[in-house]
Amino acid sequence: MKGKACYTLFFASLLLCACKRGRTKGEKYRTIIDKIQARSKNYHGVSISSDRYITGQTIAVTENSRTFSIPERKSQITSYACTACHTKPLKEMQGKGFKSAHWDIKLQHADSQTMRCTTCHDMTNPDRLKSLTGEPIDFNRSYRLCSQCHAKQFEDWVGGAHGKRGGGWAPPRVSMTCVNCHNPHKPRFESRWPARYNTQKVEESK
Amino acid sequence: MSRLKVFVSLVKDSLDTTTKGSKKYHLWMAFLTLVMLIGMYCYTLQLKRGLSATGMTDRVSWGLYISNFTFLVGVAAAAVMLVMPTYILKDLDFKRAVLIGEGVAVAALIMCLAFVIADMGGPDVLWHMIPGIGVFNFPRSMLTWDVLVLNGYLFLNMSIPFYILFKHYQGKEPKAAFYVPGALISVFWAVGIHLVTAFLYQGLQSRPFWNNALLGPRFLASAFAAGPALIILVLALIRTHTAFKVADKTIRKLAMVVTVAAQINLIMLISELFKEFYAPTHHSESAYYLFFGLGHKGALLPWIWTSISLNVIATIALTFHKLRNNFKVLYLACFILFFAIWVEKGFGLIVPGFIPGPYGKIVEYTPTAIEIGVTLGIWALGAFVFVILCKTAIKIETGQLRFKG
Amino acid sequence: MIGSEMRNKRKKWFSLNLKGSENQKTNACSCGRTPAGCQAGETPKRNDGFEQVFDVKMGRRSAFKKLTASLLTGAGLVNTTCSVTAGKGAKEKAQIGWDELFKGNYKLMTDAEKEATVKRLVRAYQLRTGKTIHMSAKNAESDVLFGYAFNISKCRGYMDCVAACVKENNQDRKSQMQYIRIHEMKDGKGFNFNEADDNYYHEVPAAGHFYMGTQCFHCDNPPCVKVCPVQATWQEPDGLVVIDYDWCIGCRYCMAACPYDGRRFNWSKPEVPEEAVNKNQHYLGNRLRKKGVMEKCTFCIQRSRAGKNPACVDACPTGARVFGNLLDPNSTIRWVLENKKVFRLKEDLGTEPKFWYYTD
Repeated sequence: MKGKACYTLFFASLLLCACKRGRTKGEKYRTIIDKIQARSKNYHGVSISSDRYITGQTIAVTENSRTFSIPERKSQITSYACTACHTKPLKEMQGKGFKSAHWDIKLQHADSQTMRCTTCHDMTNPDRLKSLTGEPIDFNRSYRLCSQCHAKQFEDWVGGAHGKRGGGWAPPRVSMTCVNCHNPHKPRFESRWPARYNTQKVEESK
Repeated sequence: MSRLKVFVSLVKDSLDTTTKGSKKYHLWMAFLTLVMLIGMYCYTLQLKRGLSATGMTDRVSWGLYISNFTFLVGVAAAAVMLVMPTYILKDLDFKRAVLIGEGVAVAALIMCLAFVIADMGGPDVLWHMIPGIGVFNFPRSMLTWDVLVLNGYLFLNMSIPFYILFKHYQGKEPKAAFYVPGALISVFWAVGIHLVTAFLYQGLQSRPFWNNALLGPRFLASAFAAGPALIILVLALIRTHTAFKVADKTIRKLAMVVTVAAQINLIMLISELFKEFYAPTHHSESAYYLFFGLGHKGALLPWIWTSISLNVIATIALTFHKLRNNFKVLYLACFILFFAIWVEKGFGLIVPGFIPGPYGKIVEYTPTAIEIGVTLGIWALGAFVFVILCKTAIKIETGQLRFKG
Repeated sequence: MIGSEMRNKRKKWFSLNLKGSENQKTNACSCGRTPAGCQAGETPKRNDGFEQVFDVKMGRRSAFKKLTASLLTGAGLVNTTCSVTAGKGAKEKAQIGWDELFKGNYKLMTDAEKEATVKRLVRAYQLRTGKTIHMSAKNAESDVLFGYAFNISKCRGYMDCVAACVKENNQDRKSQMQYIRIHEMKDGKGFNFNEADDNYYHEVPAAGHFYMGTQCFHCDNPPCVKVCPVQATWQEPDGLVVIDYDWCIGCRYCMAACPYDGRRFNWSKPEVPEEAVNKNQHYLGNRLRKKGVMEKCTFCIQRSRAGKNPACVDACPTGARVFGNLLDPNSTIRWVLENKKVFRLKEDLGTEPKFWYYTD
């Protein structure tokens, strides 16, 4: 009889222990979303910054009331400014006596019904781009050009669901702009072989 | 002081007893030692190479060691089927056998601990688990519960028989008030060790094969079949080879326990099979792998079907009084039942838990020679410990060994 | 004598002084700092795991300590006498070895103790290879909870992430361990992992297939943490589920508990060619592991705690991977969670992964 009582006591104390442990754990949230919402109410920012990982020049942009930076573009274009060569109207330069240029660019972006060079490039001022309605667009803000058709991608990009980050996760945010990953003349990603093949796994699953 | 003298004398006498015996006995012990040495050699190889010396992989990360561990916890727990009638129900028929049962429990527990240590990646840092100097994640981790209950059970099963033998050795009667509370606790404790071990697996939501409420009760049922079956076999051997007489009645009663447990175990198996195969879900894949194989992979098929057939045959044989009361049939039934449950509750339970993996990958598991060597070594260790314990106990119980003070 | 010393110090574990008497003074505390700095570190007296769990003082503890301390001292003496003839380097190595062997759980260390073990590990590497590594013990930043999102529409199966991860995290090259798996799935079959291939080798993306990456999801209710018998794995305040490789006993219970195949075990001694070792390390991250311990993705703790993105995020050429601070309402990860149709794997298990999937 005594033994039984002992055992019950022992078990009860164990249970008590377990309960206590559960309680002292403090903050309990039903789901991770609850936790995020509760704990981000008093968000004061973080002390770490990704400033030192940001390489090259950036320019600040504000879209959909979100402000972030994108890499500066013009200095990265090899033969900018265009007017260095394009001294005359295009019609005149296409004739004989001129060195042929841009022969390596073959437009593979939508079909010819939708796009050709001058859909984006301004014939009158080659140093800048132009929107569908003819408004000028700076080369540094070429995403505005892309966003005319790719509105969904643009929205995702501004939010952060599309595209890559420069620097790190910590603020300030630097996002790669469209042309950092996509070649505007051939925006599709090439297919290629995977970077890695695990021979050990093949062995294992035999 | 006098107690110490008695103890020293007991140790001397038991050393004397265990080192003397017939040629057969010496041969048997030499054989066990040899197997243990081989096991130890295999273990040093494993220590040197790491666990890659075993057949385990990231896919099937527990294998033969943990399978045997699981099964042996059940064997250890089965001692309760002798302890309860003897000490609590005062059934005198069991009195002589109970010490043997407790000896089996001690040997099984030592094997359990050895298997766990063999399975560890870092046996050198095992002290991290010692409460007080390490960090013991109690009560959150079921493994810490298991460590507590196994060691507690080992302590109970060593101290009670030791106390009784110590008294008998001096020609005195042990005081019931001393050991009955301990025996009572050990009854609950025995259920505890096996239930906790089942919870170890049952509590993993990642492994649907284990994560079912029947696992704990099934562990108990199979344990109370396999454990007493082993004890019957051991008693049979002791009856024929020593002067220690165990009444037929004891064995018959034990056989009844085995029978009922085996029947319950079979009912639970049917219930489990029904659940897995009548309305198969994504979670039934492990069971499909175990019983029918997945794709071209079905390494466990011969094992599990042998096990199930033997299980059914043994249970049927035990169910008929006529067959059960024939000792030859009984011993055979006990043996095949023991083997069947070893397969089913051993790797038949552990390995399919990992197959298919969390993302459906099927990688099979085959133990390596080193792994088998260590396993055999540990079984030999268990047998060795048991023989030594029993030899002394039997000598004292038969009155051949007494304190000459 | 040692017993009384231990009592006075009230330490969490034992370390031996094999360097001789010149260090007597600093040895009053073995955390490796000056006595003053050390005291400062020690003042918030913290209990060990057992006491933390029970929140009571164990009377038997001091007895345990005495016993173990004397045992260890005995062993230590043998060790010193053996190494009397050895050079200074060998002696230092032995000292570091002993201190490392008997140090406590990183989770329960004070900052000073964390620094000390990191210093020892850096020194040990220097003694062994002659090269200097940088190892950090940086704690979690407040107001940070790391989260991850994976764009299924964008992943093209290049596995650049896998290659970068292996390199960044000093994973065993011999067993070709990899934390990340990219599953190639057939279009029109849903998320059917059973028929997916996670080790394809052909030009990608393959027609009629899509790709989905898995790794450790750093669950908010991690089953692996719950089951560890020695608290060698735990969740940091910034949400990272980490492992103290030196405290892990290699029971692999966490591996069985993980529903996402996020954990890896070192079945043999991990091998990384010396010239390929990433020397920018964190104690809880990519420092070199030993055989018989668990490891897994830490969201590149050595990078993320410094403000960088994990290596897989940086390596991904398609921008399928988004990483950030879940507590920052303006972070990109928060925008993804709030504006895209996100889901997680095996949500019904209640593990609350901090790794979401979404599509364009």
